[in-house]
Amino acid sequence: MSVLAPERAPVQETPGSPEVIGRARKKDFAGLVLAVPFLVLLVSTVLVPVLYALYLSLFTERLQGLGFSGPEHVFVWLGNYVSVLADNAFHAGLGNVALFALVHIPSMLIGSLVLALLLDSAVVRLRQMWSLAVFVPYAVPVVIGGLIWAYLYSPTIGPIKNLLGVDPLSDAAVLPSIANIATWQWVGYNMIIFYTALQAVPKEIVEAARADGAGGFRTAWSIKIPMIRPTVFVAVVFTVIGSLQLFTEPMVLRGFTGTVTSTWTPSMYVYEAAFVAGDNGRAAAASVLLAVICALLSAVVMRFSTRRSR
Amino acid sequence: MELSPALQTRGLSRRGFLRASAALGAAGLVGGCTATAAPPGATTVTIWSWLTGMDKYVAAFNATQRNVFVELRVIAAGLSGGYAQQTNAIRAHNAPDVLHVEYQGLPQILLTGGLRDLTADMADLESQYSPAAWRGVRPDGRTWGVPMDLAPMVFYYRKDLFDQHGIPLPRTWDEFRTAAAAVKQVDPQARICSFPLNDGSFFAGMSWQAGDPWWTAQGDTWAVDIAGEGTLRTGTFWQSMISENLVAGVVHGTQDWIAGMHDGKLWGLLGASWSVGTLGRSIPKDTGRWAMATMPTWNGTPANGVQGGTAFGISAESKAPEAAMTFLRWLSTNPDVPKIGSTFTTPFPAHLPNRAVARQAYKGGYFLGDPVYDVLDEAAKRVPDWTWGPNALRLFSTISDSFGPVRGGGTTLPEALKKIQQHAVADMRAKGLSVREGKTA
Repeated sequence: MSVLAPERAPVQETPGSPEVIGRARKKDFAGLVLAVPFLVLLVSTVLVPVLYALYLSLFTERLQGLGFSGPEHVFVWLGNYVSVLADNAFHAGLGNVALFALVHIPSMLIGSLVLALLLDSAVVRLRQMWSLAVFVPYAVPVVIGGLIWAYLYSPTIGPIKNLLGVDPLSDAAVLPSIANIATWQWVGYNMIIFYTALQAVPKEIVEAARADGAGGFRTAWSIKIPMIRPTVFVAVVFTVIGSLQLFTEPMVLRGFTGTVTSTWTPSMYVYEAAFVAGDNGRAAAASVLLAVICALLSAVVMRFSTRRSR
Repeated sequence: MELSPALQTRGLSRRGFLRASAALGAAGLVGGCTATAAPPGATTVTIWSWLTGMDKYVAAFNATQRNVFVELRVIAAGLSGGYAQQTNAIRAHNAPDVLHVEYQGLPQILLTGGLRDLTADMADLESQYSPAAWRGVRPDGRTWGVPMDLAPMVFYYRKDLFDQHGIPLPRTWDEFRTAAAAVKQVDPQARICSFPLNDGSFFAGMSWQAGDPWWTAQGDTWAVDIAGEGTLRTGTFWQSMISENLVAGVVHGTQDWIAGMHDGKLWGLLGASWSVGTLGRSIPKDTGRWAMATMPTWNGTPANGVQGGTAFGISAESKAPEAAMTFLRWLSTNPDVPKIGSTFTTPFPAHLPNRAVARQAYKGGYFLGDPVYDVLDEAAKRVPDWTWGPNALRLFSTISDSFGPVRGGGTTLPEALKKIQQHAVADMRAKGLSVREGKTA
């Protein structure tokens, strides 16, 4: 709809005349036709599954005796939500992703920002080669990347234990190890986003700063970073959501160490409930709660970002 | 309007072309001993399975049959998604005719109400099966599956190194501890074996030997006894082995483990019968180093655990249960099956006459010491009573979660086992099942 608005503006005709209304109607109709493929996909792949998840989350399967006579579907109101919210495993999962986010978000964003600024500055040679090298991990499928890191982390065949003197798969080290995989994966992607935003910073402003005597660091800190702040906030929102949904990396490492439990993150909790415990109602309730938490957190970050840029 | 009939005919002819080329492709494959299209008039039976070599068995069956045609879909191994896929299919009322269920997964699949009662169909075969396998498909006294193989656990060990350093083969767990200390003394980097804490199925096998089944179906009630005397004894023993740093903790089957097995850092493996094949595949250059023996025992009473083992069930909603049964009877009891199996693995059939066929077909040459099938037969004879419960698969992940902190000293195996018992009972009660805690009344 917002796309249509500017097109309508140049039409200089008396408002209210039948011709204008007719044309507007025709345009609305055309817009609707163009939106149909999107609407079909939105309804069939997003809205229907979401509604179905909401529906599922209100039911549970009840057995009796030995259970071999099969289950009975029972409406339990918000019972599944209550049991998820009361489940220590779910709390522990949220705690894990919160810690993960604390490690991952700053290191990944600062890393990609620094790399983007370096690429944007004049000091870097072979710019394309560097950006490609940092970006490549993003192109590696997460499972493959996770497996490669798991082998590097393995105490007897991987080098990392000998290099650091710490077993990367031990209780204390596994969270930083997972954050490291995610950071490795995402640093290049965000670097490209930041670099693209930096390209849009007007050259005159940068030159003016230089004429005023600002060095490379000062220009980066006082001119470039403030100018790409909206982009950075968008990246923060995406990374916060991504952190909450953390799944693949710990799932892969779980095959290599007992430290990662089956409910180590909220997404793994959902997976465990649905596909190991076979409890679809609890899985649906947990995923609805996870979606609500994601929405709330993104809203908070967005609110924070608009306040900051004012 | 004008175009549509033209399109239709073109569509038809294209379909005809595709059909012709598919037939050509099929004809090409027939030379390779398999038919890919159902013969006219045959009943089609669909099967989902992750059994190694199932494609070869199905091809052999289809080559000999006119009336039943089997269509195989290979799915992910049970705990890696196969059970979830089958359970979801049952819920969605589009399950295949034949489902892959291990003994350990059978009662949990039964909770969906998706399996057909095979008691009458299977009654005549009882005497032909290994008793442990027969019990495995009859958790409540009705027959719910067709047994395929049995997977008794044995102790694989580096006979060359044990002999070279004069360490006797341990026959009891006390001797096992002595041997473990001796191995560590010879090479401080080496351990007698690994005790993977994140493998619930492995720990269940170790506990099975101790003779205290975790579940028993008593009338309409499950007796749940995961922290029983035998299991706690097992837990206490391995806790002391871990505390004294006498066992490794590496996960079986990982690259780390394979490297350790080959490099002489692991001198043994407590593994199931299917590890015969695993060893041959993962460390093929180790010919003439390894031997097998039945598991060490508690105070000399012969007993052996089991880890895994496959059976097949028929969907309650199958439209071709008779045809499915024809295939499963062939798969489980026809002597061609172990002959085919022996070409790429070391099958240990649940069907006793077929086990004799597998023994005949076994090539040998890899292992030192007692003949492989002698050891496996003896191990299978020693398997005590056991019933898998309706939450076994979930329990495996609970075990792995609860044992996680053991290595760091956060908890001990006996402590964790008591928590697992509470967790399992609460989980089963929440589902509405009738549960009694502890051993039989």
